[in-house]
Amino acid sequence: MASIAAAKVAEVRETTRVERVGAHSHIRGLGLDDSLEPRVVSQGMVGQLTARRAAGVVLEMIKEGKIAGRAILLAGQPGTGKTAIAMGMAQALGADTPFTSMAGSEIYSLEMSKTEALTQAIRKSIGVRIKEETEIIEGEVVEVQVDRPATGVGTKVGKLTLKTTEMETIYDLGGKMIECIMKEKVQAGDVITIDKATGKISKLGRSFTRARDYDATGPQTRFVQCPEGELQKRKEVVHTVSLHEVDVINSRTHGFLALFSGDTGEIKSEVREQINAKVAEWREEGKAEIVPGVLFIDEVHMLDIECFSFLNRALENEMAPVVIMATNRGITRIRGTNYVSPHGIPIDLLDRMNIVATKPYEEKELKEILKIRCEEEDCEMAEDALTVLTRIAGETSLRYAIQLITTAGLVSRKRKSNEVQMEDIKRVYSLFLDENRSMQFLKEYQDEFMFNDMGDSNDAMEVTDG
Amino acid sequence: MENPGKSLLHLTQIEEKAQEILSDREEIVALDKQRNQNREAIRAVQRLDNSTAWITVGPLLVKMPIKKVSNILNNDQVRLDVEVNKLRSDLKVKVNALRDLEHTSPVPGLMLNPLSKAEMNAVGQALGRSSE
Repeated sequence: MASIAAAKVAEVRETTRVERVGAHSHIRGLGLDDSLEPRVVSQGMVGQLTARRAAGVVLEMIKEGKIAGRAILLAGQPGTGKTAIAMGMAQALGADTPFTSMAGSEIYSLEMSKTEALTQAIRKSIGVRIKEETEIIEGEVVEVQVDRPATGVGTKVGKLTLKTTEMETIYDLGGKMIECIMKEKVQAGDVITIDKATGKISKLGRSFTRARDYDATGPQTRFVQCPEGELQKRKEVVHTVSLHEVDVINSRTHGFLALFSGDTGEIKSEVREQINAKVAEWREEGKAEIVPGVLFIDEVHMLDIECFSFLNRALENEMAPVVIMATNRGITRIRGTNYVSPHGIPIDLLDRMNIVATKPYEEKELKEILKIRCEEEDCEMAEDALTVLTRIAGETSLRYAIQLITTAGLVSRKRKSNEVQMEDIKRVYSLFLDENRSMQFLKEYQDEFMFNDMGDSNDAMEVTDG
Repeated sequence: MENPGKSLLHLTQIEEKAQEILSDREEIVALDKQRNQNREAIRAVQRLDNSTAWITVGPLLVKMPIKKVSNILNNDQVRLDVEVNKLRSDLKVKVNALRDLEHTSPVPGLMLNPLSKAEMNAVGQALGRSSE
């Protein structure tokens, strides 16, 4: 999964499309040194030293495979970097470990039951590592020689001379191979691979030493080095696929488009059982390894009691991933019940979790974060403007201040300046309301809004009280 | 470091292992070269019309019946294949041993057995390849 995502990122960069800047796009990792001590500002992370250290310890346990089937809860006020820490963990895990991120409310869909959505998310976070092995012949073509029979009919015979930096050899070719070579338009100077089992020829490019053979070459010509070492190589490629991807392939009824349309619908439990059996068989034969990944559920308080009890059960499965949850709730009602519990999570599930708390940022840290975001959004900001923005972040919220960066950047560009000044901040501050001012505004003018029933509900309250 | 003797020993071990790996690599290349020459010889002998052929056995050049020659060459080819495969399998163990000495984690999935062609075809679809 992750590797596919990485490939997509590369693709976007290649076509020089404008990348959108996400709220946590500046996170590159957890910002820890080798002994897991958090650096104050590193890899886009600022502050939250204890929480980051805790996340680092969890990460090491994940890497050593010691924590599968347990859960971590990131708890803290809104805007204290819970999602940032989860993103940092995902980045630090690397491409090989599956990481799935979802929001608690994502599971409420009409097409899929809640447990199905959770099962899919869990299976997306479990990777299966497998190996593909092919014997190939890889070399630079020195000469292709095809003898046609004088009569024009009958079998063709030919010779192919291949070389690496170490050796050179001649292969006798039969009719089938000659056809392949003709089809691929292989000529002297091409670097090719031949799959020994299937005889499939693929061109890798042209050798650098032959770069001056022609004056004009198409822009699609790729130049490669002459291969080193032996001609007949054994190529081993290790792949990691998620269980969910394998499920999808096997549950589809028509065409392989199901994988790409995203809408896979429900997957029958028999299919999953078959896959589990097959994977277990591969593990027995030493053909596969399970890579427990990470499932991150943001806003976990949006799950209801059914989901929690399902998770409780799912965590006990031997192939369960590490589940990281984040919540910004205090002691509140568990969804779907009338019971009140810390973080809105049942006590029995809470008992299985390691809880990591995030604390509100201090002013100095707020300033650092805003500075990093300015860089991320290509926005130069004057020192005093940054100080003002930091004050705004402290009094309203960090998210509001971050949003002001982009807008202030636009305003400053409008007056043809490439640095954001205090006046720009003031202007956008007056243009866009923060939470508190918006509330104040509503309190003053609520009577003029539509469907205003705040007064009515107050009356109703009084009635019930009375 | 606090213990020079111990560090030196550690470094020597690493160097020795690395040298082993490098010489194995070279050996594989040399064997493959021999294998390719042998294969060329087999083809050449097959095309020969004579009933005898000249063959070098060490420093000697001897004339032998063609059947015997092709037998020798074919046996050689099998032996070379076996040797190359053995070296390749040992190489994996050695690489992981070296990584262990250098305190890095082993290469993921290196010691796995490969999937069969049919299995790989099925899984390949999950990797976004079209089935052929």
